[in-house]
Amino acid sequence: MSVLPSRARLLELAKTSCRIFSTTFNPTGARTGNKILRQRLRGPNIVDYYPKRMVGIADLRRIWPDRVFIDEAEVMRLEDVQVAKIRGKGAPKKLRTKKEATRRKK
Amino acid sequence: MFPTPLLQLSKKHPIGIFINARVLRDQMKREAFAENEQLRQALRYISQNTTLHPRQRAQAQLQLTTMHAHTRSTQFKNRCIVAGKGRGVFRDFRMGRYQFRLNALAGNLPGVKKASW
Repeated sequence: MSVLPSRARLLELAKTSCRIFSTTFNPTGARTGNKILRQRLRGPNIVDYYPKRMVGIADLRRIWPDRVFIDEAEVMRLEDVQVAKIRGKGAPKKLRTKKEATRRKK
Repeated sequence: MFPTPLLQLSKKHPIGIFINARVLRDQMKREAFAENEQLRQALRYISQNTTLHPRQRAQAQLQLTTMHAHTRSTQFKNRCIVAGKGRGVFRDFRMGRYQFRLNALAGNLPGVKKASW
């Protein structure tokens, strides 16, 4: 029947093993806060949650002022406005005087 | 279109797609957190390390509590990137439940299919 080695000897074994495999020797299990040092930084991922702004037509126009860039959505919108005006559904004209504005309110 | 680093953008907000005040505020908190994360982790390490002097640990704890609230990780919230909603947001799609449904039905989300049996 085999007998277990003494406690001191076992501790020494653990210590040697820690030295060889470069792990921390902490027989009492004291809280050293190492788990915090092991955590990865979350910041970069968290900052990148919302998608970044892409280069738009306005940026292209600003960078190359001499070139022509066509904003199709804007062209479409202006066409729709024209169609609405022809049908008499355009935006009302701006009131020139203050009197007119107050009369409208009543 | 290509992402921002290739061309210099005008100095407007850096967020694409949808912006409102809450989204901007959330982004501000995220940046504050990322900026102060290392300091916070260091202070947490000191305060949780039982082998250090209790006075040191208490001081670290005190400094953590006196830091600005926006540097805490509990302050920001995942919001819908399409509509800016704060509730019912799927983490995997970063979208609110209704925007998720609309985009899924439109076929914009690869691999998402309406269940039918």
